[in-house]
Amino acid sequence: MRRPLSFLIPLLALAAAALLPLVSGPYPLAVARSVLTYMALAISWDMLLRSGQISFGIAGFFGLGAYAAALSVLRGGMSPILSILFAGVFAGAVALILGLVILRLRAVYFSITTLALAEIFRVIIQNWSDFTGGPEGLVLPKLIFNGESKSLYWLVLAAVVIACAASTMFEKSRIRLALSAIRNNEQSAAASGIGIFKYLLVAFVVSSFIQGIVGGIQLQGYGFASPDAVFDSNYTLLPLAMALLGGIHGTPGPVIGALLLGIAAEFLKLHIPYGHLVVYGIIIVLVILFMPQGLYGLLRSRRHAVAPVAENRVDAGAWGK
Amino acid sequence: MAISETSLKDVLLFTFDEINKAGGVLGKQLQLIIVDDEGKGDKGVAAIEKLATVDKVDVLIGGIASGVALAQVPTMKKYQIVTVATGAAASTTVEKALGPSPDSDWYFHLHPWDYNQGQSYADGWDAIQKKYPAIKINRIFLAYEEGAFGKSSFDASKAIFGTRYQFDGASFKSALQGGSDYSAVLEAAKEFKPDLFLWAGYAQDALPLLEQSKAMKFSPPVYLGAPPAWPADMSKSPLAENVMLYGMWAQSINDISAASKKFYDAYVKAVGTAPTSYFAALSYSAVYIVADGIKRAGGTDKAKLIAALEATKYASPLGETITFSPSNIIKHQGIRNQKILQWQNGRQEVIWPFEVQSKPIVYPFPAW
Repeated sequence: MRRPLSFLIPLLALAAAALLPLVSGPYPLAVARSVLTYMALAISWDMLLRSGQISFGIAGFFGLGAYAAALSVLRGGMSPILSILFAGVFAGAVALILGLVILRLRAVYFSITTLALAEIFRVIIQNWSDFTGGPEGLVLPKLIFNGESKSLYWLVLAAVVIACAASTMFEKSRIRLALSAIRNNEQSAAASGIGIFKYLLVAFVVSSFIQGIVGGIQLQGYGFASPDAVFDSNYTLLPLAMALLGGIHGTPGPVIGALLLGIAAEFLKLHIPYGHLVVYGIIIVLVILFMPQGLYGLLRSRRHAVAPVAENRVDAGAWGK
Repeated sequence: MAISETSLKDVLLFTFDEINKAGGVLGKQLQLIIVDDEGKGDKGVAAIEKLATVDKVDVLIGGIASGVALAQVPTMKKYQIVTVATGAAASTTVEKALGPSPDSDWYFHLHPWDYNQGQSYADGWDAIQKKYPAIKINRIFLAYEEGAFGKSSFDASKAIFGTRYQFDGASFKSALQGGSDYSAVLEAAKEFKPDLFLWAGYAQDALPLLEQSKAMKFSPPVYLGAPPAWPADMSKSPLAENVMLYGMWAQSINDISAASKKFYDAYVKAVGTAPTSYFAALSYSAVYIVADGIKRAGGTDKAKLIAALEATKYASPLGETITFSPSNIIKHQGIRNQKILQWQNGRQEVIWPFEVQSKPIVYPFPAW
């Protein structure tokens, strides 16, 4: 029963998500766009995390993607859709080049380096004023799809589908085994013949590609990029909190986390207008403190705890016959 | 009605309360709906979508950050709800994105654009030098925070002052963005020997900058700050004495303006402290302008309300009567001038315009 359900639930969820614009107004769609943006970033972050490498560079590649898209339109005359693809390719290419060096680092050294990279990208773009518009940023002449809410929503949803597809591919292929082996014991993995550096590079480039794509979509959806806006630390911290809340090392966790935190943030804002950020922060701290494996991890551990009992009952029944 | 900045919620709440207690508008109570944009573009867009489609508001009021306003403009254009904007000074982005009349006629911009501000500073310093011959300004140094606000301040100041004065500047990382060391920018300023030292940053930079200036014995003849707001306890700090500042409202305007006194008393009664930012007086003005417009329009019919707002003549607490007229791009620009103020004995005194001057300037800025 588990295999069909594992396909059916995501398909139903995707169908529901795709049909949402037909039954909801512009406001829920605007909130959903924001939730889906963070969801794609959370999934991409988790993909690299499965190797044990914790990146704090999400905002860096997201911002790089936003600027790549803006510059490709304004300086290169590229079409909006192509500019989004270019944003992903550019972020992936930068990750490939930098990955050759920084993926030799481990643990906190890698994390700090990715954090520094995001800041370096921001400083370069902020100070390269003639080309990037400097601190005031760049403004597009018009939004993609003329800013039409439904189309913008479907565009962000497409990014989530790409992220989910890539993440699922990681889970279903030998990449999962390789990344898990690297995370659990890198020396043993190397001794088993796993090409550690190759797999780390693949995970880093693919996750950065997705972050670049999402940055490009953000740029096309809101029509401007400034260093303060697109390199905002929230683009690192929120996806990270969402993945931790939902559960790490798999696709469902970040999806659940993004949905819950994204919707909770808006709900709290409407119902506690004068203190919503405080309550939101407390929720994140409590969940991470008391549910370190995340909600999906908690559900799975409960299911595993219940499953053997059920099996025993069946076995007992069989013996009885 | 709606506002999209929680920092201004208190003033909006008591202003609506004040109007409603006085009988409301056209016999009806005004309803305020507040949505926080969290200073982020995507949240700001969602806020406009909610206010336009769920709450179906008649008028939008509020906004401070240009970055948020820029993200909101396409959505605001889609609904074209009558808007009285209290912030967003970046003309090269926000005003350009709004575009010319008639497509932006629903937008009433109260706060001066950056070029309005720059011009009013130039006019002010010309007038001050003319009135006080002892004050000679030849060299100006601008220390600006490295973000969009600081850079646009530098660009606008350089365009206006750069041709007439020896002008230089350097950026610093604001305390708001995690910075804390101003020694490099202060060293550069000290070496330049400015007659007027100006810094453009945020409230969080004010006291650390002054502390470090004191430590470095940097005391230019004019020490001037231009943050959007000052720390709440700035008036109690001895470091503030004789520091000059740009702003639109000061407590000292109470001495010459009944409207200012009324606003101030209501604010202190409702909030418990004195306003720390001129945005409070600006937001208070915005609500009264809208209420008055609805009264004269006989309701919230969009065309009639726009026509009524165009005819606004509001004696504001800012010490001036607010009217709307075309700016470089849009049709409805309200205030164009900032004031030049100075901290004296824990109070912001108006130095210029002279018609609302509350105290003469203390010059030069005393050595530490």
